[in-house]
Parts: sequence; structure tokens; C-alpha cells
Amino acid sequence: MALYLSIFTQILITIVAVSGVYVLTGLTGMFSLGQAAFMAVGSYASGILVVKLGVPFPLACVLAVIIAVAIGYVVGFPTVRLRRDYISLVTLGFGEAITALLNRATKLTGGASGFIGIPKKTTFLMALLSAIAAIALVSWFKTSKYGRQCIAVRSDELAAKAMGINVPKVKMTAFLFSVAVTAFSGCLYAFYITYVDPTIFGWKKSADWVIMVFFGGVNSLTGSVAGAFILSGLPELLRSLDQYRSIIYAILVLLIINFKPSGIFGEWELTFGNLKKLGSRRSRKALKEGKN
Amino acid sequence: MKGGHTVSLQIVVNGLATGSVYALIATGFSLIFNVLKFSNFSHGALMTLSAFAGYFIAAQRGLGLIPTVLVAMVTGALVALAGEFIAFRRITLHNTSPVYFFVSSITLGTMFEGIVTVKVGANFYNYPQFFQNATIKLGNVVISTSDLLMFCCSAVALLVLAYIIQKTRVGRGLRSVSFDRDTASLMGIDVTRTIQFTFLVSGALAGLAGVFLGINYTLYPTLGSLVVKGFIASVIGGLGSLSGAIIGAVLLGLIETLSISMVGSGYTPVITFLLMLVFLLVRPSGIAGSNIQEKA
Repeated sequence: MALYLSIFTQILITIVAVSGVYVLTGLTGMFSLGQAAFMAVGSYASGILVVKLGVPFPLACVLAVIIAVAIGYVVGFPTVRLRRDYISLVTLGFGEAITALLNRATKLTGGASGFIGIPKKTTFLMALLSAIAAIALVSWFKTSKYGRQCIAVRSDELAAKAMGINVPKVKMTAFLFSVAVTAFSGCLYAFYITYVDPTIFGWKKSADWVIMVFFGGVNSLTGSVAGAFILSGLPELLRSLDQYRSIIYAILVLLIINFKPSGIFGEWELTFGNLKKLGSRRSRKALKEGKN
Repeated sequence: MKGGHTVSLQIVVNGLATGSVYALIATGFSLIFNVLKFSNFSHGALMTLSAFAGYFIAAQRGLGLIPTVLVAMVTGALVALAGEFIAFRRITLHNTSPVYFFVSSITLGTMFEGIVTVKVGANFYNYPQFFQNATIKLGNVVISTSDLLMFCCSAVALLVLAYIIQKTRVGRGLRSVSFDRDTASLMGIDVTRTIQFTFLVSGALAGLAGVFLGINYTLYPTLGSLVVKGFIASVIGGLGSLSGAIIGAVLLGLIETLSISMVGSGYTPVITFLLMLVFLLVRPSGIAGSNIQEKA
């Protein structure tokens, strides 16, 4: 039971991070390959604040998120005005820089051997509530004015500009929002595992998150969350195939992109209205079959 | 005073050698960016894959450097061609949103790296010693033989590439496809064939760069993450410009060597990253000044 609980908690933390990635990639069409590095900033900042400075845990989380957003602003400022490719390249460089910094600043971060001795504060309930809060926040963002502007920018930047949308500002808002959510997931992670080291925050993890978003459906928050749930739960089921995990993922995703580019869920969202529609369609179908 | 000169000359020589490998990475990446207008993130993993192919097929059997390089280049070219077919063909044909190129290339990279990891685990491998004399002394400057070879090979490869692109028929086709794919196809250029050719060349460059990186460092499954140097170089030089990529790469090599000699290798990625940010602020179009706008 404890094992399942631990697996679920980690999946929930991943879901928090992926809902941040969804804002950036799903809504705005930007790709960050340094998203995991922002998670690292969240983990390390909150960990250092609590362990070395004795700041209480909730305040440390808030401060860590603020620090991450400030760093995100520096990274985003030169890049949001440019072509979208730049943000992926720049965040990739950012990830490398952060890893180097964490490895190097041994006194503060413990260097390559990791930062240890973080107290265990994250519980299953807390992770669950955070995941629900993150999903609620993101779905609110999606339907808000900003979210719709983001979708406009993703679909056609030039047309969005012509409609009077301030494209760099929208991109920046989405970027910082996703950085904040991801950094928060980093806090949860650090205080759950109680140990962080620089190697787990490479671009591989960011790429995995992007893949999760696309697996479920790039236009659907439901799909992204489901993708995160399935793809981060799958390795636990396939323990014996651990080596082949990334290859299996890759083949799955390539198939989806080639043959159903909108992902498993397409644009479908889990709402009461949509559920009712689904139910009525099914009952209508049943009725028809009954007649035949 | 004389000592200072030698040290700085030494830095220039080392920087040029490092920069020439970065130039190989950056041009391989920029070629694809030029033609298909997306950042190919599978390039790094392709370098790893072909470097390991060179190791297992040639170097391990005691064949010399040249067979190793050839095997790696051929592997790189063929795998890139296969990758184009698996991951990018349908997206190009259906004109789906360019974001899918991005995801496809990341996924392809993950797959290549996964294949390498399955074969070698997390172990480190070393190419055998290819040269009898590890260093050559020119005046006061010591050049390692592999650095010299790297520089020469890269220069030759890039010159051949420039000749192909500027002077030959297929190169002209490549340039026109990169300019406007639809019009090029109306003019009777086989776009698919041209894209395949681009991937072949880019893959061969990846193989060459992979072997050199393997000689310089060691062979390990995440060797491909060094591709980030190529990305930084092409951002500095101007995304999508081949000559800009080469200039950016040489500049990056020089700055990196300088920074290593001054603050050590640990902080160097931080410095190159900050340099890239400054470049984007001051001159977002890069050294070459070709700023490709997002197409409507």
C-alpha cells in the first residue's frame, strides 16, 4: 500500500509540473527544454531556505516560486520577442548552465553528490490538493482572456498581432506562469524525496514532459493530465522493461504524431457538459442498435 | 611578457580546434533548420549513435581512424535518412503545424539515445589511441595531434559542403527549397529528394562530429548533450545561416577556451549561456544578421 501511495504521490507531482508545461506548450505553442531546470530552481531554493536559513516550509515555497519567476523573467526577456525556436534553444542552454552551477556551488548545493537532509513535508494529501489546485488554476487560465490570447498566438502569431494582441507580453505571461507552476512542483518534489541532485533535472525530463503533453492531446488539458498520468505510471508497471522504456515511449509518440497529431484526447475536455453529451450520444447509439 | 604571448597563442590554437568541432555540429543543425525551418533536437543523439557505431564496428576491431570516421559518417547519414522517413515525412507532406517537427525531433532523439543505452548501459568507452605522437610542437605552441586533425577535417568537410551548396545542381535545389518549398516544387525540383539529401549530409556531419567528440572526451550515452554548443553557436551566428553558424562556433570555441583558462571549466556553461542572452538582447539576428521571421 505504501508503495502505491508513494508512486501515486510522485505521479501527482509530475501532473503539477505537466500542467505548467501545458500552459507553455499546449496553449502558447512554445517549447521549453529547460523546464526541469526551473523545477531544480524550485527544489534547491526551497530546500536551502528551509535547511540552511530555517524559513518555514510554506513561506519557503512562496519564495522559491518567486525566485524561479525572477530567473524566468531574465531568461524570457530577450527571447519572447523572437521566433519561437529561440525559447527552446535558450532554455536548453539555461538547463546546462543551471546544472553546471548546481554542480559547482558545492557549499550551497552539495555539488554533484546532491543536497541532502531536506525534511519530509509533502504528504499524499498535499500532493493531491496541489495537483487539483494546479489543474483548476490552469483550466481557469485557459478560459480566461489570457488563455484565449495564448491560443490565438499559438495558431497564428501574425494574425494575433493584427488583432491587437501584445504578442511578447502574452508569451511572457504564459512562460512565467508555467515557470511558477513547475517551480512549485519542484518544492513538492524536494520535500517528498528529501534529496535532490543535479542530474535528475536535465533536458531529458523537460522533453519527457513535452512528450506527455503531446501524448494526451496538445489542445486538451484533460489529455495532458491523462498523458502525464499514463506515461509516468507506465514505467512502474513495466519495471522489467525499464531499459526499453524510452524506446517504447518514443515509438508510441511517433505513431501518435504521424497518425493522430491531435493526441489521444484531441480537443476534448472533461467537463460536465461534455460528459452529458458523451452519455446521450451513447444512449442514442444504444437506442439505434436496439431498433435494428 | 614572452610567456604571456605563448599562453594566449595556445588558447587561440585550442579554441580554434574546439570551435571547428562546434562548427560541424552547428552546420549540421543549421542545414536542417534552413530547409525545414525547425530545430532538430535529434541531432545530438544522432552524434552519439554514430560515434558508437564507429566504435563498435571499426575502432574496436583495431581498424584505424579513417575507417572509424567513415563508418560513423555512413551510419549517421543512413540513420538520419531513416529518421526523416519515420518522423518527419508525413508532417512535411501534410503541412501540419511546425510544432510537430519539434516534438518529432525530440522523440526521435529520445529513441536514438534509448537504443544506445540498451546497447552500452551507462558505461564509458574510449576510442583506442589513434596516433603515435600525441602532440606536435610548433615553436612554443603545443598542438595535440587530434586537435590538428579535427581542425583540418572540419575545414575540409565545411569547404566541400560550401562547394556543394554554392556550385552544384543539387545545392542550388537545396537553396531554392529552403527559400520557398512550394515554388521550388512548381519549378520541377523534387522536394522530397532534396530534403532527403539534406538529412544525409546533416547526418554525415553529425557522425564526423560524434567521432571527434568521442576522441576529445569519452564515449558515453549522453555525449549528445554537447549538441547544445552547436545550438548556442548557431544562435550567436544567426539561426539558419550556415556561414553565421561557422563564425559563431569558432567564436564560441575561443571564448570557451579563454573562460576555461580563467574561471575553470565548471562555470564555463554559465558564461556561454549569459553570452548567448547578451547576444540575443543586443543583436537578436546574430552575427550573420539573417533573421528568419515566423511565417504566417
